[in-house]
Amino acid sequence: MIELNSVSRNYGKKVAVDGLDLQIPAGELFAFLGPNGAGKTTSIKMMVGLLQPTQGRIEICGYDVVRDSREANLRTGYVPDEPYLYDKLTGREFLQFMAEIYGMESADGANGIEKQIDQFGLSDFIDQMAESYSHGMKQRLVFASALLHRPCVLIVDEPMVGLDPRSMRLVKDILREETRQGTTVFMSTHTLAVAEEIADRIGVITNGHLLFLGTVADLRARMSSDESLEQLFLALTEEEVGDAVGQR
Amino acid sequence: MLSASDSAPANNSDGAQIVSGQLTSTGLEARLFWRLRAAVLRAMSEGALRNARVQVISVVLASVILWVGLFLLFCQGFLFIQSGIAHEGLRAQMIQVIFNVFFLALSVMLVFSSAIILYGGLYRSEEVAFLLSTPTRCARIVLHKFHETVFFSCWGFVLLGSPMLISYGIVATAPWYYYALLIPFVISFVLIPAGIGAIFCLLVVRLLPKLRTHMLALLGVAALIVGVALGWRVLAYENRDMMAMTWFQDVLARLEFSEQRMLPSWWLSSGLLEAAHPVASVNATGTQIWGERQSWRDSLMFLALLMSNALLLMVIIELLAARTFRASYSGIRGIVPARRKAGLGWLDRATLFICSPFPQMIRHFIVKDLRLFRRDPVQWSQFVIFFGLLMLYFFNVRRFDYAGAMQKWVTIISFLNLAVVGLILSTFTTRFIFPMISMEGRRFWILGTAPINRDAILWGKFCFACAGSLPPCALLVFISDMMLRIVSRSVAVVIIHQVGCAVLCVGLSALAVGLGARMPNLREPSPSKIAAGFGGTLNLVFSSLFIIGVVLLLAVPTVFWAEADSLRIGQSPSRFFGGVIGLGTGGSVLLGLGLTLILGACATIIPFRIGLLAFRRLEN
Repeated sequence: MIELNSVSRNYGKKVAVDGLDLQIPAGELFAFLGPNGAGKTTSIKMMVGLLQPTQGRIEICGYDVVRDSREANLRTGYVPDEPYLYDKLTGREFLQFMAEIYGMESADGANGIEKQIDQFGLSDFIDQMAESYSHGMKQRLVFASALLHRPCVLIVDEPMVGLDPRSMRLVKDILREETRQGTTVFMSTHTLAVAEEIADRIGVITNGHLLFLGTVADLRARMSSDESLEQLFLALTEEEVGDAVGQR
Repeated sequence: MLSASDSAPANNSDGAQIVSGQLTSTGLEARLFWRLRAAVLRAMSEGALRNARVQVISVVLASVILWVGLFLLFCQGFLFIQSGIAHEGLRAQMIQVIFNVFFLALSVMLVFSSAIILYGGLYRSEEVAFLLSTPTRCARIVLHKFHETVFFSCWGFVLLGSPMLISYGIVATAPWYYYALLIPFVISFVLIPAGIGAIFCLLVVRLLPKLRTHMLALLGVAALIVGVALGWRVLAYENRDMMAMTWFQDVLARLEFSEQRMLPSWWLSSGLLEAAHPVASVNATGTQIWGERQSWRDSLMFLALLMSNALLLMVIIELLAARTFRASYSGIRGIVPARRKAGLGWLDRATLFICSPFPQMIRHFIVKDLRLFRRDPVQWSQFVIFFGLLMLYFFNVRRFDYAGAMQKWVTIISFLNLAVVGLILSTFTTRFIFPMISMEGRRFWILGTAPINRDAILWGKFCFACAGSLPPCALLVFISDMMLRIVSRSVAVVIIHQVGCAVLCVGLSALAVGLGARMPNLREPSPSKIAAGFGGTLNLVFSSLFIIGVVLLLAVPTVFWAEADSLRIGQSPSRFFGGVIGLGTGGSVLLGLGLTLILGACATIIPFRIGLLAFRRLEN
């Protein structure tokens, strides 16, 4: 469902992502981990069409994100780290706009909106202007809009930032449920406990290179350790960070 | 079409999930974005009327006053031309030239303003990043932002152009269809320079992403050089018989460049003048130029010419956007700005030395604000552009001949120049000084927990604003006096101007700092939006009233005194009121000066004190 073949992206002379290869099948929840500046957000922006790869090819549900960007975006739901909403639209108006952007039939759109309002508990504020929302409220609304058109692929950048414990639980449950229904979920996060709890596979990236790809159990086997993902992650990235500092 | 299931997503034969949407048609997409715009505008209007009624009323009132003022001014101008130029052909030619030059100047400004606004709207907007992650067509995104650009860049055109066009229609007793054609003419015309600017912006970012800033700067410089060259060509004129026939003919000859038949500005002015003149007229050579039966047909032909060109440009924008926008957006995101080192340490040290009489805390706040100012090109570039333009104008003031009938206007013009400097300064204090406290408030967790005296923060900003505004303003006012030859005639008037300038700088700084501290907006991260809010508007209104008060208190007695006595231009003081402080006497000038100082002290102390008290109580 998501396929990255030798994908690289440069910012001037800096190589942010270097020859990334990934295949994430339908119905898998993939957690993308890495320190700040590792290339996680760059990879996500390439998948949703905001950036184009300097080299390589990305396919979403078989559609090239550069050549068939609209087809690829139609099949993608995207929750960015800093959600964008029209301040002067209510939450309901925003969802209606999204339903129309994704070309949903009006009855289908209306049903979908009611379902998402119910699922994310938006009813208390859905008819208020988005300018009055807290970060958590915005995040829940953006989740609802990303799932409204029932995408094949859900791409989520730092989903837990700004959410209270109840909302975090809700989001984790929904991500698992979406995966169970066949959606491919690509989640970038620093919250390693969440990744450990819900991800089917994890990928660890540093300095644009994929350091590890597999399950948490695979990582434990590789590191010969039974410690938490946090400890494993720190141990795995320590050597790479040390090398990078040494090179400077 | 892909269909949806009721609860769980459906899967196709390969097991792939089927989405519930489909790609929308171009027409549906266009209607959706127009509905979005309408909904946002409706919500903004309702919100403004509910939450910022005073601001809305102030803006509408100011716009109406400006519009009416311009309308009356244009009416007087057209009546003057009608009565002052007896020769009908010459009169028609003069009107055509005025229209040509006015619309040509607006075209050039619209090309640049729309290119710059569209660049910000397309490549720095969170909305565009959001839309690019949806299946929206790139062409629709660009057109959506282009329509916004046209709106933002042409409201000034509407405010300036509509009183001129309507007043001309009234003076020329134009038929009804002249007024009916105004809106389609203006819309078609505005789209052409804005479209050229948009195409230019898209091409520069696509083809020269790394050099876009240099390209824009280069074109800006080129436009400035062309503008100055044309201005020089028009104004480099030493004929002392201003308003005489030879003067008119010479000016018309110098403005011939605006009559190029390929210019949209010429199509617009010709189309409008055709519509305004159903009655036959003749030009300078005696040839009939407007026929009664032909005029409306010719007018429609010019409208069709404008519309077809505007539509062609829209098509080009759409094609260009579809082919290049996503790649250019990605390309521009790949450019990493060079890491800048903090330079100009000597300037900080010099500032610390100059400010040594102030307490240490205030000195460090001044240096901090100076660093933020010089490292933010938005601030200093606007400062340089506006004051540069004013300087250009002041240097050209002497192009007009003040030796003859215009001499009695010299003192009045000098005070109008002082007012202009004050008004420009007030826009800067509103835009940059007023939001400083709100921005400081956003970092209040630093200041609130630091062992510092809060008063020092406000004093620092006040000193920074005064020190930053006084030297350039004083220099500008002095240049104005020099060009008007007041320096060589009356040192007293120069001193009065400098006192007025100092009072304006100190008062406007205190107003902005005081009101900024009294009405901070700690939730808004954008300084421009803080300045555009209620507090900023109020600051602008108070600043304008203060400037009017200062200039009137100084100008009225000085103008009478200068005319009567000091400039020795032949008027006797006895013509005016007698006594020690009657108009025309030195006493009245001193009284005006005294009242100005009192007004300045009030405008400085009262708002600053209110700001200090409010800032001491401010909680995060």
